[in-house]
Amino acid sequence: MKMNRLWELLTNNRFYKSIFRHGYPDDEIKRSEVVTGNLFLHIQPVKVHKNTIRTGYTLGLGLISFYLFIILTVTGVLLMFYYIPSIERAYNDMKDLEFAVSFGIIFRNLHRWGAHGMVAFVFLHMCRVFFTGGYKSPREFNWGIGVILLILTLFLSLTGYLLPWDQLAFWAITIVANLIGTTPPEKIMGASLRQVVLGGTIVGQNALIRFYVMHVVVLPLVAAALIGVHFWRIRKDGGISRPAEE
Amino acid sequence: MDKKEETVIFPKNPNKTYGLMELTKTKSFQIEKGPDNTVTSWPHLLFRELILFMGVFIALMIISMVFNAPLEEQANPSNTPNPAKAPWYFLGLQEMLAWAHPFWGGIFVPTVVTIILILTPYFDTSQKGVGVWFAPERRIANLLFTIFIVLAVGLIVVGEFFRGPNWQIFWPWNMPSPH
Ligand code: HEM
Repeated sequence: MKMNRLWELLTNNRFYKSIFRHGYPDDEIKRSEVVTGNLFLHIQPVKVHKNTIRTGYTLGLGLISFYLFIILTVTGVLLMFYYIPSIERAYNDMKDLEFAVSFGIIFRNLHRWGAHGMVAFVFLHMCRVFFTGGYKSPREFNWGIGVILLILTLFLSLTGYLLPWDQLAFWAITIVANLIGTTPPEKIMGASLRQVVLGGTIVGQNALIRFYVMHVVVLPLVAAALIGVHFWRIRKDGGISRPAEE
Repeated sequence: MDKKEETVIFPKNPNKTYGLMELTKTKSFQIEKGPDNTVTSWPHLLFRELILFMGVFIALMIISMVFNAPLEEQANPSNTPNPAKAPWYFLGLQEMLAWAHPFWGGIFVPTVVTIILILTPYFDTSQKGVGVWFAPERRIANLLFTIFIVLAVGLIVVGEFFRGPNWQIFWPWNMPSPH
């Protein structure tokens, strides 16, 4: 076949092999090397159960959540080049992204819609896991990690919501801050929690920088680490859940 | 593999006769291997993962080219919109604030829900129905979870589409403008 000769040419050379360390994966040994010989892929097993690749089982929801996280990280870094977390500048930076920066509006849209999408897909993924009984032993702990990931996702979205410093942002965060302020005993616990979150009594510069640091450093790092644990546990728990075999 | 082991792994069907039919060349390890239900990750899994990534990226790109992210007037602490709404995923909580002391809807319910979610696998320990969508053996668990979802989503829908100025109920098509 012609196709095969093309692959041969592309893959059976020193350059290709210097990168991938094996030839074109046309037998099982080389196919296993695709996974074991690659830093990024080897968290996955060389072989997986057929149920794992059944589209109708996972619906790919966990993977979609992960992909959105990756896209958000990349577009988020690009937005950071233009955004300054100061109440004098933040709103104008958003306007610049919209009208002055090349493709700025696209990156902002990708980031915004990706964030909404991630909340939705993480939630749907949780529903999938529940309705297939995927949280049962030995996967109890990974379900717990998942619940924490859902909360982290919500907080990532929330902290990002303030950053454009428009009316929508300001009042949404004011509501959430007031909500935190109702933790009992209100005068002691609630008031001090609110103070810690906002760095003051109102949503102002201190709140903006706190939300910014949480949004771009703390929460993404914690989420990335926990996603790593989540994936590692999937493997240690014997792969994706599946029906018992007779 | 000796004969005894072989009959355990490949039980013989008494209604059939067996004989050597053909020798084939193969590039995979077949030694000491019983029948299994696995496939190699490359290409079966990794290829699907790649396709899914392209699908997600293209879909998000199309949405981002058609719809712009919202950007309202600059923040103004002296101009309170009525109603002021939290982001949609917190509207369920905001909706509950209207019913009782805010602590119950805003702090108590989410904390309790989180704890129940984390502890669920430690109480629901039966292995029946794992790996099957909506397994009949899991009817009660699935029913309870469905109620939870309907409530969570329902509250968000009410908060997003049915609440207007002063957090009054309005029909979505009668909604007064928020400013
Ligand atoms: C940032 C959020 C999350 C990411 C990126 C993520 C990613 C994944 C991926 C890629 C899988 C493999 C199977 C699949 O694609 O469905 C998976 C499985 C799993 N996830 Fe998540 N997940 C997240 C949140 C959650 C949440 C919120 C829960 C539950 C509360 C959860 C519980 C589980 C469990 C128990 C499994 C194993 C399921 C099985 O074996 O059937 N995850 N996750």
